[in-house]
Amino acid sequence: MQQCFATHFPGVVLWLKCFAMHSPGVFHWLVLSTLLFSIGIYGVLTRRNAVGILMAVELLLNSGALNFVVFDRYVAPGVVDGEIMAIFIIAVAAAEVVAGMAIFVTLFRNRKTVDVTSMDMMKH
Amino acid sequence: MLSNFVANLMFYVLAVVAIFFAIAVVCSSRILRAAVYLMCLLATSAGFYLLLGAEFLAGVQILVYVGGIVVLLVFAIMLTRSAEMPEDKPSLLRQSLGSLAAGGFFAVTVTMFRFSDFPALQKGVLAGGDTAEIGRRLLNRGAHGYLLPFEVISLLLLSVAIGGIVLARKLHPKGGE
Repeated sequence: MQQCFATHFPGVVLWLKCFAMHSPGVFHWLVLSTLLFSIGIYGVLTRRNAVGILMAVELLLNSGALNFVVFDRYVAPGVVDGEIMAIFIIAVAAAEVVAGMAIFVTLFRNRKTVDVTSMDMMKH
Repeated sequence: MLSNFVANLMFYVLAVVAIFFAIAVVCSSRILRAAVYLMCLLATSAGFYLLLGAEFLAGVQILVYVGGIVVLLVFAIMLTRSAEMPEDKPSLLRQSLGSLAAGGFFAVTVTMFRFSDFPALQKGVLAGGDTAEIGRRLLNRGAHGYLLPFEVISLLLLSVAIGGIVLARKLHPKGGE
């Protein structure tokens, strides 16, 4: 889209034609998944609720799986290695949420909060 | 040409929706709403997989993520009473540090993509509908099979289920033990 927009800037019809000729390439997909990953990094660093951090981690895992599928499609389309890796990532994400939820419920029962900024028991 | 146009349009519409929901997930002060936004984001992600021609993966995404993981997260929110107290906005220092780290990662990675030319890429090959091949690879014991990782993953899920029960059960239910 950027190339189309830059080369045919004033001509809308030409730009639309160029837009219709090119389907999204690997660069577009990679930028999209990088953007989702950086939003996830922001969430991990700024959330205070532990469950919120778990959600941001889900965002990170999801963009990683998207990257695997994109490279599977654009590097070796007949071979499904990337898709199988994405399935494994989804399974590991499910396991991670189960373990995290059990830990947070236990933590809440003992300390009445899941605020990560007040988890400093090991300092004292 | 028309299908290219539709694929292009779908890509940009889904991308804008996904980025909107992702920002909503990390910025919403009500954690239950963040869970709903996460569900919408994961459904959009299933749309990406469909667009890439991975139908089986889109189905797995809906079944496991939207149907399972988000429900577990809602359970976690309810059990820790996080829905009752809205989280206050992070301090300016945290916000700026977080955006610095995220923006720095984004800038470095995109610059790297821009200046690398990926010699292994093949041009525009999008063959879809290879679910049978996934099944064959997952249960294959040969050189290109994934039977051992498949079994290890099932062991991981079993041990996590047992560990979750052990961690989250009530200790001393009748004052004894």
